[in-house]
Amino acid sequence: MAVELPADRALAKVRFLIVDDNAAMRGLIRAVLAAFGCDYVFEAADAKRALGILAVEQIDILITDWKMSPVDGLSLVRHLRDPEKSANPFIPIIMLTAYAEPSRVRAARDAGVTEFLAKPFSAEQLFKRVQVIVNRPRPFVRTKAFFGPDRRRVTNEYEGPERREDAAL
Amino acid sequence: MTQREKPIEIINPPNMLKVKVGGRIAPADPAAIARAEAALEEIKHEFRNWLGEEVNKLEAALTRVHAEGLEGDAGDELFTVAHDLRGLGTTYDYPLVTRMAASLSRLVETSEKRANVPLGLVEAHVGAIRAALRQNIRTDDNAVGRSLAEELETRVIALVGVPS
Repeated sequence: MAVELPADRALAKVRFLIVDDNAAMRGLIRAVLAAFGCDYVFEAADAKRALGILAVEQIDILITDWKMSPVDGLSLVRHLRDPEKSANPFIPIIMLTAYAEPSRVRAARDAGVTEFLAKPFSAEQLFKRVQVIVNRPRPFVRTKAFFGPDRRRVTNEYEGPERREDAAL
Repeated sequence: MTQREKPIEIINPPNMLKVKVGGRIAPADPAAIARAEAALEEIKHEFRNWLGEEVNKLEAALTRVHAEGLEGDAGDELFTVAHDLRGLGTTYDYPLVTRMAASLSRLVETSEKRANVPLGLVEAHVGAIRAALRQNIRTDDNAVGRSLAEELETRVIALVGVPS
């Protein structure tokens, strides 16, 4: 039986990068991660700055918004999933966005996001995504047209109790 | 998977994150969730001001739209601010603002949609969001707020259809 750790011990060394053009939202996500026990949280206001941080820091989990300019989060995901352009095409990516339509979720999955979370988000929802990424990572799939986490898993595999409605996003 | 995407290569990269963590994260950690909710509670008194700043941005974007029209950068900026409000409203304890901002976002999401949008409907959304904040109407439990949100949504659906 593998060791099971509380969040504050498990996540202390995990390095997060938050990419969001809204400073208030970055602050909220940072506050939640800090409460989980994360000591290493980096922030970028746009995709270009995010790539700059990724070039010099070893980031374990990336949390990105979708609607940003001049480069949006979906393009950032595609770039990071391109093995020819990315230093770590396997990096876990949580897309945290106010887009919530099923067509958007599909587009995000097709770009290669690992987990999708719609804003407004709760601390519990973010915890679930992080926990699934660590405990049960998706295998990666390479086809002629796609490289990214296996899209066939349609629901997250959170193992804890459900406290609220949390659509299969 | 579609047939044409084959052949498929399945890759199981080593789970270095689990190694770094030193095991599995406990499936449930109510203490961590409670700490995070407490952290948000601590800054809650700021939420109304922060939301006010976002609504100021929305009104500034509308002012720019009045000067430049909905097409082009001004319309895109309006969508960006509305989209941000959609994500922030509920977080700041104003789900009604999220609902109205979601409706506005759908209305002005693309340049194609913006080409056919009556400016009055955009103004009605912005005015309703400001009114919700000013009158501290946070949820659609409030009959006036609910009926206003429904009216806005109905008009948006009539113009751009239901969400896909």
